[in-house]
Amino acid sequence: MTDRSYDELGLVAGLEIHQQLDTETKLFCESPTELRDPEAATRTFTRYLHPTKSELGEIDEAALEESQVDREFEYLAYDTTCLVEEDDEPPGRVDEEALDVSIQIAELLDAAVVDEIQVMRKIVIDGSNTSGFQRSMLVARGGEIQTSDGPVGIEDLMLEEESAQKVAETDAGVRYSLDRLGIPLVEIGTAPDIRTPTQAKEAAQRIGTLLRSTGSVRRGLGTIRQDVNVSIADGARVEIKGVQALDQIDEIVELECDRQVALVEIAAELSERGASVGEPTDVTDVFAETDSGVIAGALDDGGAVSAVRLAGFDGLVGREIQPDRRLGTELSDHAKRAGAGGLFHTDELPAYGVTQAEVDELRAAVDAGPEDAVVLVADDPSVATDAAEAAAERAATAIEGVPEETRGANDDGTTRYLRPLPGAARLYPETDVPPVEPDAEEVPVPEVLDEKAERYTREFDLDDALAEQVAFGRRWPLFEELVDGGVDPTLAATTLESTLTELRRDDVPVDRLDDEAIGGTLELVADDELAREGIEETLTTLADDPSLSPSDAVEAAGLTGVDEDEVREAVVEVVERNEAQVAEEGMAAFSGLMGEAMGALRGKADGDLVSDVLREEIQRRA
Amino acid sequence: MEHAAGETEPAPGDRVRVERDGVTDEGVLMPSSDEERLVLKLDGGYNVGVDREPATVEVVDADVYDVGTTESEPGTRSEIDFETELPRIALISTGGTIASTVDYRTGAVTAQFDAEDVLRAVPDLAGRANYCGRVVANILSENMEPPIWQELADCVAEEIERGADGVVVMHGTDTMQYSAAALSFVLDTPVPVVFTGSQRSADRPSSDNVVNAVCAVEAAKSDCAEVLVCMHADESDDGCALHRGTRVRKNHTSRRDAFETVGGDPLGRVDYEPGDVTVRLREDVTYDSREFDLGSGIEVEREETTSRSVSTEPALNPNVELVKFTPGMDPAALDYLDGTDGVVIEGTGLGHVHTDLIPRFAELVDDGTTVVMTSQCLEGRVCDRVYDTGRDLLDAGVIEAGDTLPGTAKVKLMWALANCDDEASVAELMRRDLAGELTEESQPWR
Repeated sequence: MTDRSYDELGLVAGLEIHQQLDTETKLFCESPTELRDPEAATRTFTRYLHPTKSELGEIDEAALEESQVDREFEYLAYDTTCLVEEDDEPPGRVDEEALDVSIQIAELLDAAVVDEIQVMRKIVIDGSNTSGFQRSMLVARGGEIQTSDGPVGIEDLMLEEESAQKVAETDAGVRYSLDRLGIPLVEIGTAPDIRTPTQAKEAAQRIGTLLRSTGSVRRGLGTIRQDVNVSIADGARVEIKGVQALDQIDEIVELECDRQVALVEIAAELSERGASVGEPTDVTDVFAETDSGVIAGALDDGGAVSAVRLAGFDGLVGREIQPDRRLGTELSDHAKRAGAGGLFHTDELPAYGVTQAEVDELRAAVDAGPEDAVVLVADDPSVATDAAEAAAERAATAIEGVPEETRGANDDGTTRYLRPLPGAARLYPETDVPPVEPDAEEVPVPEVLDEKAERYTREFDLDDALAEQVAFGRRWPLFEELVDGGVDPTLAATTLESTLTELRRDDVPVDRLDDEAIGGTLELVADDELAREGIEETLTTLADDPSLSPSDAVEAAGLTGVDEDEVREAVVEVVERNEAQVAEEGMAAFSGLMGEAMGALRGKADGDLVSDVLREEIQRRA
Repeated sequence: MEHAAGETEPAPGDRVRVERDGVTDEGVLMPSSDEERLVLKLDGGYNVGVDREPATVEVVDADVYDVGTTESEPGTRSEIDFETELPRIALISTGGTIASTVDYRTGAVTAQFDAEDVLRAVPDLAGRANYCGRVVANILSENMEPPIWQELADCVAEEIERGADGVVVMHGTDTMQYSAAALSFVLDTPVPVVFTGSQRSADRPSSDNVVNAVCAVEAAKSDCAEVLVCMHADESDDGCALHRGTRVRKNHTSRRDAFETVGGDPLGRVDYEPGDVTVRLREDVTYDSREFDLGSGIEVEREETTSRSVSTEPALNPNVELVKFTPGMDPAALDYLDGTDGVVIEGTGLGHVHTDLIPRFAELVDDGTTVVMTSQCLEGRVCDRVYDTGRDLLDAGVIEAGDTLPGTAKVKLMWALANCDDEASVAELMRRDLAGELTEESQPWR
């Protein structure tokens, strides 16, 4: 449906981008922002959370829905975490580095920084924050970015703490790791100005570029997360959480439009049919002798089968609303949320071992006619009833149209139900942290990456592609530092982009090379202590043993101390070995012998010197 | 600050539109605004501060939110019954973090709930007992004073006489150990009197108030007729330790498990799981137990007030100081001790001070001040017979308080001075165990 008119559909979309910052320490304590392996945990402890009244006396609906079970949360602590992450010590002041970076981001987004930043608590009681809230603060509001389809407003920019990473679901509850908790995170919310899926993607890309322009954002999987708010004219606002891949945003928006269009059509048809939804009924007897493995399994464990008649729904429960997802899948999402493994509906039966006779009996048991559909859940008796009721509630909403809700992004671009939309009432003041008066004038505005690429071409004579590669890559801060320190810009750029890529392809563990290793190596070249030809081998040596200094690595790789005499000795040997060729071809033999000479010297000598000496030696014999 | 024409002065709770440097913010005006700044709650829920000076403020909608606060006055009493056969627990509130909320004026967390609100704040208490709520004070525990200990003791005694089967005292954690010690000396209780509080404020979902309050109520239903402190046993929400009121000490500023029994193990533990809370009292230690059976016979026992008699000796002499000796102490720092009735020294090691200070203490004793020695080591007992300094202190008339904790010794001396007729019996009391504060033999593994 790519050629549909989004204008006619009345598509309105907005983005919420969450980006981790690459700071030395966490937002409210001195712990490093290092991610750890759960195996490295040094201690564990367990907690429960209890919902609290918010500042204005309301309890958030989303928070309440999550609190219905008394879940026990287990936390893994490390030698890199402290009592603040454990909620056993008040937080420190807002990290200044994180504050500066967020002010830079505000400037890049053309947003106005507030006079006084107040730290708030955002109630989150799924256990991902030990305190039961996420600390968050509004840093700036009212900005704008440009896309080819027009400007997109920036509503707000928040600085907040990252939540703890879920490690596992346990029998009692959930296990979380504290390493990620407290890493600074910025959240950028756009205005609902986006009108097409491609504009959504472009806006996300632009914001991504601006974020990377600070040089202080974390890179890699999970360090940036996009949420997308989508609605169409007859649909409803749906918040899609956790889109990991930027280039999937247009697809997600497209598929959500498909979903809402399909749900609107289904609603119209249901209204026309005068559809309604019944109450859960126990139909365990129908399946007493069933061959269905799922149902028989549940019954063998002492379970029951609960069914609900969906009057007027026949054929619509099985209608596809997104690739491989039907209205029935949505009902199933709600049943799962209520604790069941899933549900069956008559639009897909007989199947899965359920016979036609059982379907007939089931229909009879709930008084369902041919125009009706029936959904059924087999599980522990109370779970089966709750799940059937949850599915019925969702079915009732389908008669109305598209429900407002929070959904989660699936890998294939479709989405699944997560929870109701969060309310605005879940914020109250974090009284443990004093307000901050930001000084935006003290913070320099960073150069945007595309301007940076242009400047590299202009100032350093890099070709366009290489300049862009460096500017949009993760090593431009090092590149600028090296060039400032006298390293040849082209050499720095090719080393950082091509050489490292080639080494990676040759299975050299280049991730182990830090800025000091790479920078130190190039400085040796700038100081004439290492030949350009020796860079690859030096870096390989450093990657194999990161404890070495660059000059130690040069020595370890045997790349040191080749003076002109040794060069001449090696060149003479090559020339003499190829005496006949030299005699015959003269200077035309140069390029072939140059390769051989360089090979003999194994990158120990500077290419210009070898070339000069070889030329002399050939001339002498020619 | 300019107001749009015809508008009234904006008040907290009004929805206002504020314009400044071309940026417009709209939200509810918060009471935390001050002379220089307006604090707005924006529609997304965030508060921001806006400088008043260059801003134009317009009231969009007056009084859209009730942002007022409710304070419960001391002196209130209320009852909540679930089922008649449940034991009755008195919930006595003195303030503190267990039932606290945000103060808009200072932006800080303060105590604002009465004891009934505690049930609302900790719904898990429902059905565990029938409750009566009393508010003795509404103070931060750093503001606690001896007269309030006396009021508290009277209130506890009154509730026991009215038929309470156990008492829970909700108290700020800073000085909880002093209040618990005071009640240990003042009260002879036939039922458990359990102090509890919270280290992490009640306005956070992770607060330790729920586990602590639930465990305290269960401990108050137990058989240990002592003054106890019931606080988290470790950093997990899996239970509380029951500490003797005279041996407990807050040993960490912020951790949930800040409270520890010094010089021994706690008297018991309450294991916590939602829906399964168990009190386990140690069998190898002695403690007072109930003089009546808390079970089928409760109704009968309630009639017989004699079997649940509580006695109080609430007199306290507040004219007592606790001084900590440290190297470099200026002897002039002791000048203010002139005229005090009692001084507890927190000495070094076995109970020492600089040799030059000894005459000063001798002078105080001669002037009628009772001077008691404890140790800043906290663990272990004072022994002034080992070194010359100690022997000189004993000669000067200083009394050794054994392994009594310094803070507990201060409270005990206040009580001893008010309840003994002569110096000799004060000295005798300070050397003797009255309420588990002083052990006869050193067995810290117990």
